[in-house]
Amino acid sequence: MSDINQTTGAALQKKKYIVPIGPQHPALKEPGHFEFTVEGEIVVDASIRLGYVHRGVEKAAESRNWTQVLYLVERVCGICSHSHGTAFIQCAEKLAGVELPPRAKAVRCIAGEIERLHSHLLWLGVAAHEGGFDALFMYSWRDREIVMDILENFFGNRVNYSVNIPGGVKEDITQEFIDGISPDLDYLEERMKFYLDLINTDVTFRMRTVNIGKISYDESASLGATGPTARASGIQRDIRVDRPYDGYDLFPITLVTDDRGDLNARFIVRIKECLKSIEYIRHVMAHIPEGELTTKMPRKIPAGEYMASVEAPRGELFYFVRSNGTEMPDRVKIRTASLCNWGTIVSSVAKGHRLADMPMILAGIDPCFSCNDRMVKINFGNRNPEIWTWDQLRKYGNNFYK
Amino acid sequence: MTAILSVLQLLIFPAGIFLILISCIYEWLDRRLVAQFQNRVGPRWFQPLADILKLLSKEEIVPISVNRTLFILLPIFAFACVMTAALYVPMFGMESVIGYPGDLIITMYLLSAMTVSLGMAGANSMNRFAVVGATRTLTQLFAYEGPFMLALLIPALVAHSWEIDDVAIYASNHTWMILTYPIGFAIALIGLIGKLELSPFDAPEAESEIVSGVLSEYSGRGLALFHIAKNVELVVGLALISAFYLGGIGNLLFFTIKTLALLMLISLLQSTLTRLRIDQTVGLWWQIGALLSLGQLLIIILARIL
Repeated sequence: MSDINQTTGAALQKKKYIVPIGPQHPALKEPGHFEFTVEGEIVVDASIRLGYVHRGVEKAAESRNWTQVLYLVERVCGICSHSHGTAFIQCAEKLAGVELPPRAKAVRCIAGEIERLHSHLLWLGVAAHEGGFDALFMYSWRDREIVMDILENFFGNRVNYSVNIPGGVKEDITQEFIDGISPDLDYLEERMKFYLDLINTDVTFRMRTVNIGKISYDESASLGATGPTARASGIQRDIRVDRPYDGYDLFPITLVTDDRGDLNARFIVRIKECLKSIEYIRHVMAHIPEGELTTKMPRKIPAGEYMASVEAPRGELFYFVRSNGTEMPDRVKIRTASLCNWGTIVSSVAKGHRLADMPMILAGIDPCFSCNDRMVKINFGNRNPEIWTWDQLRKYGNNFYK
Repeated sequence: MTAILSVLQLLIFPAGIFLILISCIYEWLDRRLVAQFQNRVGPRWFQPLADILKLLSKEEIVPISVNRTLFILLPIFAFACVMTAALYVPMFGMESVIGYPGDLIITMYLLSAMTVSLGMAGANSMNRFAVVGATRTLTQLFAYEGPFMLALLIPALVAHSWEIDDVAIYASNHTWMILTYPIGFAIALIGLIGKLELSPFDAPEAESEIVSGVLSEYSGRGLALFHIAKNVELVVGLALISAFYLGGIGNLLFFTIKTLALLMLISLLQSTLTRLRIDQTVGLWWQIGALLSLGQLLIIILARIL
């Protein structure tokens, strides 16, 4: 008996060699904790722990007025700040029954696509760095600076540019803007084609990306992946096409898919999306409708509930907003795209791959840690974990950290 | 008198302090070139020296779980290995300090001993990143060591001598061996990249996976000594390849030009290739590197018989 115990004990000990990544690790740009159980170099199990950067944005939103919340939610994520603002203010506008002027819709679209450009360029650099291809990292971030300059010159800020205001937009697309942005777009298009070529031809880069982190169509669909991660597996899923918001009904956009589902496909989908965005920005700028930039928006939003989705650079960004007829929202629920995509890593992709592929696979879904950390779920014992008052929660929190 | 001279040669010139300073310059050039290729600015010229001085002056933290003696001795051993290896290699346009038949084998042994001590340093640690790094370092050692050794033996076979100076003199009197034996040269150069754990063979210290590999727990003096050892290994390796494949000992000017040209090539490879996984590294070396170097060897033997 003791022999059996010893052998199983030894086997267990041998089996459980866990390589922790995070909360502080050079591969992570934001805190998150991953545990990879490895056998030699092969990963046999993966687990994830998030919640290091919970900031209580949803609760904070309940004690601010509608305009203030708009600026608050833009700070949920620095990279897709425009998407957050757009999704929130859409809910407010729909509840108030305000219809945006077409020019404002077009401006929102242009800002969204510029944001997609800078987000995808940032991701390209990070993913290349995780794979040890620092030259691509440096090149793509140098090109990203052009997009950042566009944002700074025309919207006032490099990040959190706050194009939206309740009932419209604050910046106009002037002739000066069009003249200024055109050469930059031409240059970026050229660079994007170069990167696309590089990703398809570079031998060592292909060795690290082709057939790595493969997610099939079915897996991706059942795990509810969104955004470029889903589209790289051949799923036709894009909010801009499925449920057009803002100007996407005036100016339709086509989606980019790839059916191979591996890391290389995710690179290709994102870069092709950038090319598509550049084309789209040009098209909208050429056909921008005349008219006002804002409409009148009431200070008090009528009571009601509304859900809105926006295609952020990482996938579907979902907002639920409930109003009780006052100057402040009653409830704001945010679900970001990264949260949908985590499942694809932990449940299927990680197992069987090598430890060396993990950083790239992690980066492959373009994770954004701080925008995940929304929910508090306290699980202990047989007490009902769901119903907690604010006072109970505070008391629990104070005791926890005592 | 000779005793004093030997000590001076060991501690000041050409090995010792002089070599350490020169190796800092080479490290700077490497970093600067890679930075330029990557569209960055890169460090200033004194940065590697400043790094080493800073590390030497800092506290060395010894983790509780390690074997204390090994932890302290391994960096010194690695440092001593490469410094000794430097004595056997003709550098700066001069013949080597010590030379006897068979010193080529000794040199290669000393250079490998440095890598082995790195691996041991990692295995000594309880840190998981260091242990994974150690397995990778040693795996990689077995991958490139065979082809690299063969690539350095090719000139020795051609010159009918296993003494580095003899081979170098033979090389300077004949056509450059890079032209006659290009495969051997390519394998030697790529082997050197593997030995130095530079990109694309930097899986043993891939920062996005295992932080800093075997050196994760080293700080202060130990880390500085390992850094110096790697820098010196770079210079020794470049000197060895340029003496064998690029026309012998030459003079100071030619030595500088040749080694810098090789360094440039290494930097270019570093910045244009993606890091390979350890299994890919091993696969490449055994499937392609070993076969090519054996083929080159076969050609030499056949040419001699026929």
